[in-house]
Amino acid sequence: MDTFKTLEIKESVFENNNIQADLLRDELKQEKVFLLNLMSSPGSGKTTTLVRTIETLKDEMNIGIMEADIDSDVDAHTIAQTGTRVIQLHTGGMCHLDADMTRQGLSGLNIDKLDLAILENVGNLVCPAEFDTGASKNAMILSVPEGDDKPLKYPLMFSIVDVLLINKIDAIGFFDFDLEAVIHRARKLNPNITIIPISAKTGEGIGEWADWLRNQTRLWNQS
Amino acid sequence: MHELGVVIGVVNKVIQVAESNQLQSVDTIVLQIGQLSSMIPSYIQACYPAAVDGTMLEQTKLEIEILPANAMCKACHQVFNIIENRSQCPHCEGDDWGLLSGKEFIIKEIIAQ
Repeated sequence: MDTFKTLEIKESVFENNNIQADLLRDELKQEKVFLLNLMSSPGSGKTTTLVRTIETLKDEMNIGIMEADIDSDVDAHTIAQTGTRVIQLHTGGMCHLDADMTRQGLSGLNIDKLDLAILENVGNLVCPAEFDTGASKNAMILSVPEGDDKPLKYPLMFSIVDVLLINKIDAIGFFDFDLEAVIHRARKLNPNITIIPISAKTGEGIGEWADWLRNQTRLWNQS
Repeated sequence: MHELGVVIGVVNKVIQVAESNQLQSVDTIVLQIGQLSSMIPSYIQACYPAAVDGTMLEQTKLEIEILPANAMCKACHQVFNIIENRSQCPHCEGDDWGLLSGKEFIIKEIIAQ
């Protein structure tokens, strides 16, 4: 007769990722590298916004970019044309990055002498919000054509980010997009969120966004 | 396939526990999944055979317990399920509440020889 016994484990499956994320954040702090986790839907303009950001900041800080996609390296090619250090990560079907994959990406990027590393997460408003990557700060882009109802549909994403960029603001006249409603809905979920309307195409708002990054990088290296 | 990566994490953890406790075989893994966790129990079950394929857990059964999305109303202190009541207290219609459970994704226990 087989004898069975029950072993209590009581361990949260996300706990391991949270521990890895905290560990990575501590290491980045020691190395004085500010890591931004950038999230959004596909097609919101993450890569175009990154190119603008790099053009604005590349003379004052060393920047490295990690492009995470399920497949292809079109985004890495676009970024490489700016002369910035870039690495393409393939998630092999996974819809998000976790702290371990972020660590692998950073070691491939070689963070020596980097001031700012930006992780362009997989285009998705659901899963990336669930997994701490170990980033210093989290950012998301919502673009005008996606609609002003997104904070209602994807509340977790809006509640965990430090900064919300509202992109394609130059096209607001063509869409029924209520900017005030988005700001109200996002602040209800996340009272401390910073909201910056931008246009990666015309450059509107990019100055304010670059100031936010400069300021956050400075604070990260101080404390 | 958000679930597969997570289930592979579960399988690795259970194998680690089994090895450190010198278990010969594991009969059942019991998970607890909250109604608000991003994990869908039927998807977990569906990708589980792929996650255990070729491991010592190949013959192991998977059981899932669902934990309710319960909150306590800050006005009248009643406990209610926020999914069934669309985030509004059914007793006083208040919408200010504190979540008690529902976001968990826990390996509760393993039953083994």
